[in-house]
Amino acid sequence: MSDQPLRRPATPMLQQIAARPTMRGTLLGVPLGVKVIGALFGLAFLALNAAIAYVVIDGRLDGKWYDFRDLGNAVESLRGWTEDEGFHPGVIYGISALLGGLGILSLVGVWLIIGPWVERRVIAKFQIRVGPNRNGPFGLFQSIADALKLMQKEVIIPRGADRFLYFVPPVMIFVPALLGWGPIPWAEKMAYIDLDVGILFTIAISSLGVLAVFLAGWASNNHYSLLGAMRTVAMMVSYEIPISLSLLSVAMLTSSMRLSQIVAWQGHYHVWIIAILPFAAFAFLFASTAEINRTPNDIGEAESEIVAGFYTEYSGMKGGLFMAVELGNAILVGALMSTFFLGGYTMFGLEEWIPGYIILLTKILAVYFLFVWLRATLPRFRLDQLMGFAWKFLIPISMVQVFVVAIEASVFARVTAPALFTLGAFAIVNLSITILLVKLWADRLGYAVIQHPTKPVLTQAVGGLRAAERIRKPA
Amino acid sequence: MDSPGIIVAFWLLSGITVLSALLVFVARNLLHALAFLVLSFLGMAGLFMTLSADFIAVAQILIYAGSISVLMVFAVMLTPLASRNNGNSLYVIPALMGGAGIAGLVGAVAMETDWAEHSGEALKAADFPSTVPVIGDLLLGRYVLAFEIASVLLFIALLGAILLVHERPEDERSAGQQGEAQ
Amino acid sequence: MPASTEPYVLNIGPQHPSTHGVFRLRVVMDGEVIRDLDMIVGYLHRSMEKLAEERTYTQNIPFTDRADYLAAMSSNLGLALAAERLTGVVPTERSQYLRVIFAELQRIASHAMANGTLISDAGAWQTPLLYMFREREKILDLFEMTCGARLTTNYMRIGGVSFDPPPEFWPALAELVAELPERIDEYFELLTDNEIFLGRTRNVGIISPEDAINGSLTGPALRGSGVPWDLRKAEPYCVYDRFDFDIPVGTVGDVYDRFMVRMEETKQSVRILQQAMAEIPSGPHKNDVALALRPEPGEIYSRVESPRGEIGFYLVSDGTPAPYRFHLRAPSMINLSLLREMGVGSSLPNAVVTLGSLDIVVGEIDR
Repeated sequence: MSDQPLRRPATPMLQQIAARPTMRGTLLGVPLGVKVIGALFGLAFLALNAAIAYVVIDGRLDGKWYDFRDLGNAVESLRGWTEDEGFHPGVIYGISALLGGLGILSLVGVWLIIGPWVERRVIAKFQIRVGPNRNGPFGLFQSIADALKLMQKEVIIPRGADRFLYFVPPVMIFVPALLGWGPIPWAEKMAYIDLDVGILFTIAISSLGVLAVFLAGWASNNHYSLLGAMRTVAMMVSYEIPISLSLLSVAMLTSSMRLSQIVAWQGHYHVWIIAILPFAAFAFLFASTAEINRTPNDIGEAESEIVAGFYTEYSGMKGGLFMAVELGNAILVGALMSTFFLGGYTMFGLEEWIPGYIILLTKILAVYFLFVWLRATLPRFRLDQLMGFAWKFLIPISMVQVFVVAIEASVFARVTAPALFTLGAFAIVNLSITILLVKLWADRLGYAVIQHPTKPVLTQAVGGLRAAERIRKPA
Repeated sequence: MDSPGIIVAFWLLSGITVLSALLVFVARNLLHALAFLVLSFLGMAGLFMTLSADFIAVAQILIYAGSISVLMVFAVMLTPLASRNNGNSLYVIPALMGGAGIAGLVGAVAMETDWAEHSGEALKAADFPSTVPVIGDLLLGRYVLAFEIASVLLFIALLGAILLVHERPEDERSAGQQGEAQ
Repeated sequence: MPASTEPYVLNIGPQHPSTHGVFRLRVVMDGEVIRDLDMIVGYLHRSMEKLAEERTYTQNIPFTDRADYLAAMSSNLGLALAAERLTGVVPTERSQYLRVIFAELQRIASHAMANGTLISDAGAWQTPLLYMFREREKILDLFEMTCGARLTTNYMRIGGVSFDPPPEFWPALAELVAELPERIDEYFELLTDNEIFLGRTRNVGIISPEDAINGSLTGPALRGSGVPWDLRKAEPYCVYDRFDFDIPVGTVGDVYDRFMVRMEETKQSVRILQQAMAEIPSGPHKNDVALALRPEPGEIYSRVESPRGEIGFYLVSDGTPAPYRFHLRAPSMINLSLLREMGVGSSLPNAVVTLGSLDIVVGEIDR
């Protein structure tokens, strides 16, 4: 009896996963008619590409309203047409403002549906899981189901909460998340508000979220919320400085604060600023993760410590709005990072062929993937470690970087050598200065890379305190 | 001020600004008052926008709506009796008098200024591409002394803040001794 | 002028992500600094020890599953050994080896859970936890193959074990043992050189060897402080004296040392498993023992090394089939008692990580 298997044989989880239908298996089961139609669509797509290539090479597209590479052309022709028809200029600006606003809104809206799905699926891949795959094709409707669930839930107002201030922050925090998209150029003429002070605008907008976070934490009448709000405010206020300093170096190098000009500068010299200012790029990325509360800097809503931080008490869609803002901010930071440091909508001449907004979107998703990767891999910093890192490390080195860039910018304006040569020299100089500074400053502060952390001692001895002392101080 | 959009925006924004400024001292709760104050700051920024002063508008958002408001929040939080309501203060009469004085001053300056010189055709004739380079030139050229004095002042304030909260080793020791004595 | 703020009370738990069950910490905080800390237990109290007085020794074995539900095998073993010492029943040779194999598998599974949740407490978004669940899942599969249950195994019996493993068990075990060292190296790679993890765990929640002994700590918490005390070596039960393995001890006594001690113990468990698999004799897996044993009146305290430390059973017999007194020395409960000393004066994140490193199971604390 005992030699027989007692219960059903075990079915390990991984085997179950392996038994799921694969992509290849699904393809084999497709009927012939569908295959033929699919092949025809594929051919049509290829033909369309060939046609696009032909008109692009021929230069027939340049500046026409149907130039798909830059939707700004369409708006411009619309504006021209309305002017010819004799409409009032207010109407024209109104129409283009509506179109652009609609574009931004739909981008953020669509992302709020796809984003959670992307994040969950990617993290599931990191964690040897499957992720949501039940609702709709590949589980794509999971976010819609979640949103519906959140909307149905009761909004609970905690006792003793400040009712007025409790309802303001979820709305208030959404404003910067949408406004931040304004100055980002999606193609040469495709920026919603191409402000002359784009960098300042970005920083100003990001500083607006602080108050909403604080009010949310204060109005909830909960210690967890207040702790989370205090942490977040402290962190946002501190990390605004490295962000400002690194963007200041970018502005000095490109001698412009207009985002479209920064991208155009990178496109003109065929160089990404991350190559010239690696430390500024790092500082911006790190500080941004702190600003938008993502791992490893998500201490403002550290789940294992203060539950959900400043929005612990928010239930239903009120809490959902905070999560949505976080998700939207993640790609907003991706867009800013791409614009400032990764060439924006340019891609070494590829923007002649592929629409700039698609290139930018790809870069945004790449940065977002980096965020998801970090979230899936790293533990969280502690508040004092993060504040120390900002004030003792990022800010001093960023300041030195600003001085170096100031010198380089004036050199760049004066030398007549080829730009590529000068910029290459800058890149090498900056990289070596950064490495040297980081090394020296870390030594000065007493930080050291722990090469071989203390490993447990293996022993055969058994005993109490005396044995412990013998192990600690051998002979 | 020719386009209807600008006119609509002006009246809308000034309505928001004035209304929220009124609510700042009507509101009983200090933090409510603060929220309205931020709203009025934002309205001001919008008004600067309608005047094509984008730099000042953004600076208004960055400094007043973004930073000063956080400072005030902390001030409210760190004040004992933070939940104390607005009003019933000894300073109501002096504050009203001071406010009336400032309003009168600003009004007098507004009446005295020759606005035609700085608007309309004169502004168009000035022809500068954007405000930032002009402001930068002025700050580092004509008004460099004021600029430097402001920066030194801020630096001293920063140092003072650090000195205030810096715990020197001997302080710690004395604090420890006090703790032991207790 | 040191700035000070008004202290306030923060209730961590009973529903909180990092209390590992229904356990409550009442913390008095001053800003981010902990000024006082009370542990409030009892939310999961099921009156286990009193109920045990109404049941026979064999009927009590399932209770031990529910006490330490993450290491059911080890608690089962503890009770079976105590009852055998009380009654004088001798287990079979094969069952001794089976007990060692399952106890060590349980140790690996439990340490995987403990370290995984510790890293989650440190803020990793559950990736290391799920990686470690990969091995735990396979171990639970082995349990399921053998006794049909994954968590509450009820496997050990007085005089042996309840079932002999089925034939497909041994190749599955061999495969697992073969791949475990590789997996453990993977965790070392991911975690032990991770600057953030080191920054969060090194020199946090330090227990000195003196404090550890005075606080009656056992298990990885004690060994992390550098005291080489492991019941498998100190008082070898089953057939642990026939195997060659080392005791890992920490050098500083911080959270990181406790984490690393668990990692090293996993490696040592693999060594024991390899030897036990090679040496296991054939024969019956269980002696026939009466269900209602009537031991002579007397008392016994018997202890084994569970993944959380010394799990002890104090049994008093009055000659009837049921114990007159049944007491469980719960290692989690006693390890937890030092949390106040470690937590007061540190910050909230440190306290959470320290609590995670103590690896408590609330079922065992409240019983």
